[in-house]
Amino acid sequence: MQKMLMYLWGFLYNNYLRFWLKWLLRLLTQKCELQRVLEGSKAGARRTLSIEHSLESSKNKILRNAVHVEEAEVEKCVRDLMKEKKIKQKDTGFKTDLRISLLQISGYKKLYLNVEDLRKIPYDSDNEEHEDQLIELWNLLMPHENLKARITKQWCDIGFQGDDPKTDFRGMGLLGLMNLVYFSKRYTEEARQILSHSHHPKLGYSYAIVGINLTEMAYSLLKNGALKSHLYNMVFGLPQMEHFHQFYCYLVYEFDKFWFEEEPESIMHFNHYREKFHEKIKGLLLDCNVILTLGDTKKP
Amino acid sequence: MGLLSILRKLKSAPDQEVRILLLGLDNAGKTTLLKQLASEDISHITPTQGFNIKSVQSQGFKLNVWDIGGQRKIRPYWRNYFENTDVLIYVIDSADRKRFEETGQELAELLDEEKLSGVPVLIFANKQDLLTAAPASEIAEGLNLHTIRDRVWQIQSCSALSGEGVQVRLWRSLAVPAGHL
Repeated sequence: MQKMLMYLWGFLYNNYLRFWLKWLLRLLTQKCELQRVLEGSKAGARRTLSIEHSLESSKNKILRNAVHVEEAEVEKCVRDLMKEKKIKQKDTGFKTDLRISLLQISGYKKLYLNVEDLRKIPYDSDNEEHEDQLIELWNLLMPHENLKARITKQWCDIGFQGDDPKTDFRGMGLLGLMNLVYFSKRYTEEARQILSHSHHPKLGYSYAIVGINLTEMAYSLLKNGALKSHLYNMVFGLPQMEHFHQFYCYLVYEFDKFWFEEEPESIMHFNHYREKFHEKIKGLLLDCNVILTLGDTKKP
Repeated sequence: MGLLSILRKLKSAPDQEVRILLLGLDNAGKTTLLKQLASEDISHITPTQGFNIKSVQSQGFKLNVWDIGGQRKIRPYWRNYFENTDVLIYVIDSADRKRFEETGQELAELLDEEKLSGVPVLIFANKQDLLTAAPASEIAEGLNLHTIRDRVWQIQSCSALSGEGVQVRLWRSLAVPAGHL
């Protein structure tokens, strides 16, 4: 019953009330919703999420399409939008702020598409570029040990399942490998430290496999929109692939800490703790002011 | 005998639960099979650390399917999941000929396990969608399946990726021997 009332309220609000409320506010403040949002809150997730919601629920096509605008079209889109809402073009404050929000909103969607493209490329051992990255991963993590062959049990030392890592990328494709390489390259010391933790006789886990699993976590958080608040607070412009990698690094670093704090009985309980960690991250991402990055002591 | 008792259980109580254990080498396709059985998305699968479990309603009974990671490092944990198993499903990557010997050894060891004695085994010759996949008959011969005398067994070709051979065969593996009762 309560659910139905909520539904009814949602329906009435979205279809009728919201319109009249906006009309009334516009009459009182002499400003449209976009202006009120941009003036009422400072740059960041709260503001951009409100702008996104306002645009997406607009009945005007120009406003609705603005959330999908291409980078090169942003200036024009802002001008069109201001014309449509009868906002003076010389209001440069509004212009700059709206531009940033639009770049964030459309950039997030674009970033997801780029990440999805990488995920869909299966690891191909006949592709030299793929192979080079895999070897690079080894060299970054194991600087004092040479690979004896391409197919070798040594791969298990960095946490792949068997003697050829190619099948371990599975549903995460090249994205999984690129995440692993990025972390090892950018935070080499931390990566080696975590790798050595993963060899713990009792609490050990498979470094690379867990890494690929965390790629899946980062990917699904991006896909379902949960990363919006983090990225809107972090990047005042177009979010890039780099920012996705950075978030992945945060997950790997934090998961390792989490795992050792929880002291699981054995690796067989991995999925239970993974889910617990996932819930924790989802909780953090609900905060409008959230920014999740590797600690401040780390390199910039 | 094992299958007989399951069928009795199934017959007497239609909502009876069946515990199915899914084993096989890493990359055999166990998790894909599990998700396919549960009609879930199979495009984002990653290697299994530990295990996955899902309950699936099928033909009036509840299948509790345990999918255990196949990586060599965690195979010693397999035995922790043997208890009360009603059906063992052993998954083989039919295109991974280099590891036929390894997978055969693991299967032989499972069939020697006391806690699994008499438990019916269904072998999935998976990845039949790949051109290089060996046919089920060749795998059966290579693994000397015909020497299994102590339990009901069956080999089925399937593609967990496309779902072909998965749903129907699982049902049949339980149902067909009912004709022999």
